Amino acid sequence: MEGEVSESCVESLLAEIVLVVGHQFSERYTMDRPRFTDNLEAIKFICKDFWSELFKKQIDNLKTNHRGTFVLQDNRFRWLAHMSIDPSVQASGNIQDPSAMAENKSTQATGMHLYFPCGIIRRALSNLGIACAVSADISNLPACSFVIRIKA
Amino acid sequence: MASTACFMIVSKNDIPIYEAEVGTVPKKEDAAHQHQFILHAALDIVQDTAWTTSAMFLKSIDRFNDLVVSVYVTAGHTRLMLLHDSRNDDGIKSFFQEVHELYIKTLLNPLYLPGSRVTSSHFDTKVRALARKYL
Repeated sequence: MEGEVSESCVESLLAEIVLVVGHQFSERYTMDRPRFTDNLEAIKFICKDFWSELFKKQIDNLKTNHRGTFVLQDNRFRWLAHMSIDPSVQASGNIQDPSAMAENKSTQATGMHLYFPCGIIRRALSNLGIACAVSADISNLPACSFVIRIKA
Repeated sequence: MASTACFMIVSKNDIPIYEAEVGTVPKKEDAAHQHQFILHAALDIVQDTAWTTSAMFLKSIDRFNDLVVSVYVTAGHTRLMLLHDSRNDDGIKSFFQEVHELYIKTLLNPLYLPGSRVTSSHFDTKVRALARKYL
């Protein structure tokens, strides 16, 4: 039997770790620089310094709708770069045949690996004073985009 | 050269996580209560001032008789507050920077929950040594 870990289980296990790690990262990497005056500054810090400390590169593309939503695109997300995933996987496939179901499971498993980076980003931003929700989109690996929605 | 000084670290959620009397004046009980009161009262002013500038060291933001409150705010909105009667700005700034480093080292301890009280006696000893050195 495969040891199945449900998504909610993963989330609660990681929640504690993410709380502490996010807080530590945000304090440590902002030590030598002046504080942030607005949201955009903080997001830019995440894109450049934070990302290069954690993933050894900067964000490739930052988009915003100027109303509190930011999309950070990383064309080669290091933590998932070596994950094997069937290139013919469709994110919204039908679950009728078993092979499609297996592909959905692998997408799901890959998605679970993204809880940690999403959580760290969310905790770091909330420590800098910006309450937000972070979600990740992995429709084409190894590129990965993170959507940050700032709660008004 | 006796000097009074009371140092406090207040976390983002307005919970004091560290307090110490670091002056060279011998301790007097009622004075200690008063120092705490003055520092807590200055918190509102810190809130307002912190958003106006991107610097970390906000020099002296409040006065009480001849005591001055100086504050250093980190990016994570942890406030290091010092109540003192001296005028040594550079020394105070260096003191704050060194304590900031010490605080980050404490944070990196995986057994330390951010936002809880700092109970390490090592931290306490080091802060007092830094106070003697810079203040």
